[in-house]
Amino acid sequence: MTFDHRMNRRTVLKAGLAAMGSSLSGLSWAQGAGDTLTMAVLSQQTGTFAYAGDLVLKGAQLALEERNGSILGKKVNLLVRDDEGKPAVGVRRLTEAISSDKLRYFIGNFSSAVGLAELEVARQEKVLQYAAGGSEDFTGSRCSPYTFQWSAHAYTALRATLEYVSKTMPDKKKIYTVTADYAFGQSLLHYTQVAAKELGLELVGNDNHPSGERQFTQYFTKALSTRPDIVCLLTAGADAVTAIRQFHSFGVKSVQIVGPWTLEVEQMRELSPAMRSGMILGLNYYQDIDTPVNTAFVKRYLQAYKNVPSYAAAYGYDAMRTLFLAMEKANSVEVEAVIKALEGLQYDSIFGPTQIDPRTHQTVRPYYVVQCKAPEAMKNEFDLATIVAQGEKPQPPELNECKREA
Amino acid sequence: MTSLLAAQLLNGLAIGMIYALTAFGLSIIKGLLNVPNFAHGAFYALGAYVCYGALQSGVPFALALAIAFAVPALAGALVEKLGVARLMRGPYLYQLLFLFGTALVLEQLIIIIWGTMGLSAPAPEWLQGAFDLGFTYLPRYLVFNGAMAALTIAVVWLLIERTRLGSQIRAGIDKREMAQCLGIDVSRLVTAGFALGAGLAGLSGGLVLPLLGANATMGSEMLSIAFVVLVIGGLGSLYGALAAGVLVGVIQSVSSVFVPSASTVLIYVAMVLTLMVRPQGLFGER
Repeated sequence: MTFDHRMNRRTVLKAGLAAMGSSLSGLSWAQGAGDTLTMAVLSQQTGTFAYAGDLVLKGAQLALEERNGSILGKKVNLLVRDDEGKPAVGVRRLTEAISSDKLRYFIGNFSSAVGLAELEVARQEKVLQYAAGGSEDFTGSRCSPYTFQWSAHAYTALRATLEYVSKTMPDKKKIYTVTADYAFGQSLLHYTQVAAKELGLELVGNDNHPSGERQFTQYFTKALSTRPDIVCLLTAGADAVTAIRQFHSFGVKSVQIVGPWTLEVEQMRELSPAMRSGMILGLNYYQDIDTPVNTAFVKRYLQAYKNVPSYAAAYGYDAMRTLFLAMEKANSVEVEAVIKALEGLQYDSIFGPTQIDPRTHQTVRPYYVVQCKAPEAMKNEFDLATIVAQGEKPQPPELNECKREA
Repeated sequence: MTSLLAAQLLNGLAIGMIYALTAFGLSIIKGLLNVPNFAHGAFYALGAYVCYGALQSGVPFALALAIAFAVPALAGALVEKLGVARLMRGPYLYQLLFLFGTALVLEQLIIIIWGTMGLSAPAPEWLQGAFDLGFTYLPRYLVFNGAMAALTIAVVWLLIERTRLGSQIRAGIDKREMAQCLGIDVSRLVTAGFALGAGLAGLSGGLVLPLLGANATMGSEMLSIAFVVLVIGGLGSLYGALAAGVLVGVIQSVSSVFVPSASTVLIYVAMVLTLMVRPQGLFGER
């Protein structure tokens, strides 16, 4: 019964959104296509990760403002579309925007599943996607000439995080993993196994948990019975937050909790400082990255939004900024020319000197390891963690499944 | 292996007691009104949030738990008195829709007051840490949680079985018209029962706060588990929910030793099996 009612509510919402979407597309159509360039933030605006879509947009808007809203004399028409975190919806919105608004470039997927579904549309319609997300398939088995990946590779992430752990805690060797039972978690588990082997760490057990799990004590009871030194959480979002709360309730100080791709800043704030204190996390982005581009970005973001940027905002900004740099290099806004410019592009990003792999389209950039601060060490409400290491080891070529030629 | 199973059994018992407590409240309301309380999850969430609010303003944990009971109980009484009672004469569907609407209103109120971001509150210091069982650990707070739920259930049982009010509630559940004929004010009884049920949901929400935190979707998550427990226990049985709650907790916990990724789905399998083999539930009479 509950389900039926929800469906009704959703249907009404969807109809409303569709109506809004069509009126927006009417507007942009009227502007004419000749001297404008249509780009989109196609991200999640409703549902569990609704906050993410808003942040990607905020970041993208800053990048656009830096160029006064135009590139190479063309006015940028920035569309905003909601993928609702669902692959089918993402594909539909994208197809609509391509046919009615002449969309050429888009960024914004928060979920890998959504991004991978859109990848196929981008390939068919020859539009450029600058994706993000934890799945290795973007630059692996499903790599495409039209898709670029902003997030670090899962290998880079796991290697950076576990290398820090093994260097700073040489006596902690036994790792128990708790893994989300969907593509993202399994991809992380695979590279945990690879990195652990390289670093001489021992994996003593793993449990897969279903998505949306709210009860984790049974996994930890089981994990702790193997006497591990480290519990490694290969899960994300609300599941990860719940898992950490419940691990905290065990109060087992001798076991280090490590989250290689587990919490973004938004989720860190959901935990009380005592719960996250001392935890080692891997992050795609943290506000304290000390590079000229990032310092300027954080400053302007704070001014504009009275908050520090996190992963989603940094992705929106940096991906958009990189696209503009490539357009400048190509001296064209044609997709094929911009792809050529992006392949092998060396530039200064929020991560410092960065380049894009010409074959896989992976953005070769560092991954950051942070340690969460104790409550008394926090300088202000934004000061959640300290960057303790960064790693940029790329995925070993023999593990890459991309069939494209450079 | 045996010791691990024993630990999971204890873990399951503790989780199960919380399920039992939540479903017990649902069961009381279902018994009195003969309507599934779709707002039960919202009362549960309300309990967690007011408990959080109380702890933030420096109220001691025990008092915060009492508030987690009292506020949803009061809200429940109001919902019953102002809404459900007036719809009693209308078709069954009206009450159902009213309760569903109440759930949406409460959920949105919670979001307006506390926002969409999840919130955390740690357990009080004396309940932090875990019991070292030698081969694994069992969190002290989890044990406290189970014990508190068991204690509450015992108190409510005494109230229902050993007091005048309780016998009136039972009469109201079993033979409503007869109770009315005997001069029992059934409408007040129903309000009291609804308040009690909502209060129990709120108390569960407060109890799980240090483990699950508080977030906007927690109500609907718990509601589905509470309904599963109610169906397994038997819709017509007041105490079936207790045994079924514990059973569901144990299934969830013990199965994680063998098939962790299926531990949640197994709860629903248990419900389907119950419906197939014994549609009236394990303890139901009809």
